[in-house]
Amino acid sequence: MSETALPAAARPRKPRPRLGSYVLVVGLACFTVFAARQIDFRWSSFVDMWTNPLWGRFWPVPWDWVLNRRNVFDALIETFQIAIISTIVGCSLALPIGFAMSKLTSPNAPTFWFTRIVMNIVRAIPDLLWGKLLVTAIGIGAFAGTWALTIFSLAVMVKLFSETVDAADPLPLEAARAAGGRHTPAVRTAVLPEVFPAYVAYALYVFELNIRASLVLGLVGAGGIGRIVETQRSTFNFDRLLGILIIMFVIVVIIEQFSVAIRKRLV
Amino acid sequence: MIIFDDVSVTYRGGVHALKNVSLTIDDGEFVVVVGLSGAGKSTLLRALNGLVPATSGSITVDGIEVVGASAKTMREVRSRIGMIFQTFNLVNRTSVMNNVLMGRLAKVPAWKSTLGLWSAEDREQAFMAMERVGIVEKAYVRASNLSGGQQQRVGIARALAQHPKMMLADEPVAALDPVTTHQVMGDLQRINRELGITTLINLHFLDLARHYGRRLIGLRGGELVFDGDISRVDDETFRDIYGRAITPDDLLSESTGA
Repeated sequence: MSETALPAAARPRKPRPRLGSYVLVVGLACFTVFAARQIDFRWSSFVDMWTNPLWGRFWPVPWDWVLNRRNVFDALIETFQIAIISTIVGCSLALPIGFAMSKLTSPNAPTFWFTRIVMNIVRAIPDLLWGKLLVTAIGIGAFAGTWALTIFSLAVMVKLFSETVDAADPLPLEAARAAGGRHTPAVRTAVLPEVFPAYVAYALYVFELNIRASLVLGLVGAGGIGRIVETQRSTFNFDRLLGILIIMFVIVVIIEQFSVAIRKRLV
Repeated sequence: MIIFDDVSVTYRGGVHALKNVSLTIDDGEFVVVVGLSGAGKSTLLRALNGLVPATSGSITVDGIEVVGASAKTMREVRSRIGMIFQTFNLVNRTSVMNNVLMGRLAKVPAWKSTLGLWSAEDREQAFMAMERVGIVEKAYVRASNLSGGQQQRVGIARALAQHPKMMLADEPVAALDPVTTHQVMGDLQRINRELGITTLINLHFLDLARHYGRRLIGLRGGELVFDGDISRVDDETFRDIYGRAITPDDLLSESTGA
């Protein structure tokens, strides 16, 4: 091999970023400054915030109260029940709806657009508002919370899952069609095995979200650990509140470790 | 029997992939289709089982009209025609068994196959198809763990599980090395002879076409430019079909050094 380099002119120059990219970055920066002025943003608030005497009331955590079974544990069990039921029901419904909402596996254009529009409307309403609406509709309690989180799970799951199906390999589906298969069995045999690990991973993620969501759902009277959080907050028992939050933190970390372990086995 | 009568295929966007093609293929024939890429070889096969709808003309398979057929008729026709693909088109994340069972889709009720409830009979048929191409010991191995040649055999077994009367192979060896190429071509030839399955194969290597084909069909720019017995084919014929001189790239033995 000779070391002779070609004249510099023969090599392509690195393309420059387009003018539009600079305009976009500068524009975003200007808008951020403008928006901060509009909402009275002050750097000093980061410091002032901590001078509030509120924070002193979080400590020490009254562990004898927090670990008493009737105070927290029962509500925690309720949270798990709500999360498990809504994850299973929501994710099961999301399987066929997710397939119907993907260009690759939708049986026809009307089904595709109908599910897409309906699911966009469902997703436009956040979980807390679903909770509020359902508490009004069917009464205060865990049942309303279960409904709210089922709808929430469905909305999240369908979105994530249908996008995974969009990216799935279309060629096995062509083979299933060429063998004379009907639409549903063809999708089941040719696409489902490819996207199933992702489906399980998303379902575990949705379960995690549901455990977290139960903290805020209690605020609107939809049962679970959030009910305890709301009573303790409104009676200014911030030390108990911190205890509950620490327990939730530990639980979420444990669930995450579990789902990481399961996902590793799936791939 | 397959009859193409004045068949044209125009893709959305205006590309004329096939132009007024007429030809008849008798039961049990082994036909090789050659032509440059873009000549319409793939479209010819896909028009036959309706994966690509013909724009005009008539295609009949054992007397059943394919052009404009209902979904039900189309599935019936497809169930009689096995198809093998250049890229194998296997479901990588599942077993060879589950892949071969896809060939049984047209034979069982939709709810059963959707739930994965395959009968002992279906599994037996799948095993027999695997035995015919010598991959039965891989039945419960994941498809993605097989070599290219083994994967294409799974593709053939999947087609055989249909009990097809005809077999379409779209560049079945283009992704394989020379040794496995000859194994897979040998399998296809044996299946044609032993089971009497009418076989249509797209190839782009001329020496392969000449070695395995009995009848040769040449396509150029979507038009049928040659149709005849392989014994009548010489380098002149290939020059006509390709519209240029033969280069080493057109021969498997030359281009790979095998």
